[in-house]
Amino acid sequence: MTRASQLSQVANTYSNRNLIINGAMQISQRGTSWSHAHDGTQWFYTIDRYEPYLRSTHSTLDGTWSQSTDAPNGFSNSLLWTTGTAESSINADDFFYVRTKLEGQTLQQLAYGTSSAKVSTISFWIKSSVAGTYGFSIYNQDSDRQVAIPYTINSANTWEKKTITIPADTTGSIDNDNNASFNFYWFIDAGSDFTTTSQSTWTTYSNSVFAGGHSQNGVATTSGATFAITGIQYEVGESATEFEHRPYTTELLLCQRYYNFYEGDNYSCVYSTSNCFTILDLPSEMRAVPTVGYSDRRAGASAYYFTSYNYKRRVQLLSAGITNGYVTNVTLDSEL
Amino acid sequence: MYKLLPNDPIKNEPAKEIVRLSDNAHIPFDEANRDYQEYLEWVAEGNTPEPADE
Repeated sequence: MTRASQLSQVANTYSNRNLIINGAMQISQRGTSWSHAHDGTQWFYTIDRYEPYLRSTHSTLDGTWSQSTDAPNGFSNSLLWTTGTAESSINADDFFYVRTKLEGQTLQQLAYGTSSAKVSTISFWIKSSVAGTYGFSIYNQDSDRQVAIPYTINSANTWEKKTITIPADTTGSIDNDNNASFNFYWFIDAGSDFTTTSQSTWTTYSNSVFAGGHSQNGVATTSGATFAITGIQYEVGESATEFEHRPYTTELLLCQRYYNFYEGDNYSCVYSTSNCFTILDLPSEMRAVPTVGYSDRRAGASAYYFTSYNYKRRVQLLSAGITNGYVTNVTLDSEL
Repeated sequence: MYKLLPNDPIKNEPAKEIVRLSDNAHIPFDEANRDYQEYLEWVAEGNTPEPADE
């Protein structure tokens, strides 16, 4: 074996090992700050691939998510929650988390549902103004199974790296498709309906395991409290390796499989004497045919068909009845 | 709430999308699209989209 081939094997072993997308919180196509309230939209995407969920069972809780520049050494950004109006106390049926999801086809190497199922490891950097024990869980929605392994923030206002080993699951399989399979949850608050049973091996879903072991709700019950996360890495194997920093453009392309934003006016080209198409190039094949949003479009069309001519690899927006259309600030969303 | 679209004028076929009225987003009839999955759940609950404009 030549030295070059040896080096090639080493590179292959250690590159592309992080299955999480945008773990360093660099990519944020939807903006940099988002309000979140108990009486508003319960869930939405913030930084690319990260979706908080604030259950409407809360009474007063609100606050702000942001792409922060507060980060541990070697990182530039984090996803930060800052509590505005606090919740006086957490009800049994409350929960508040941030999650990210992975497609099943990304996870086939785990060989779940077979005797060859593999152990995996998740690591992340976390910082909160409130120390204590927080819930972390993974839900495999293909087989309705979960693990819930809490972790402890030892010191307030200090970046700490946490590593959690995820056992193999020889029972629950993962579909080999483009739909969501693994949901990773980091809990900020959770009521007693969801916290009573921590679960270090895979088991069938039950509410009591969902945020099993979570006990610190102080971020939600304290105005001005903070919870920040970055450097998320999920990899096959029994131990965590150094965070894999991918080039910005590589990370952006991975995100653009799920979301794209076309800023400004996107003008149309004439198709016939009475119809025109706005054609948008896709930088990456999207996961599914995307939902199309926009902030403005030229008025006067008899109808607009913004997805009927779309595919995973090409987007064409039809304005019927006019030949001089445009569509402004187009968003394409095929999130999990 | 959702709204149907009239027939596609180029192919003269039923539109393969629906409009979500809360934000005017256009949702494709693709079962892998999660907005379409939500729409199907909404229909399964007994709801009906608004008819297309004439």
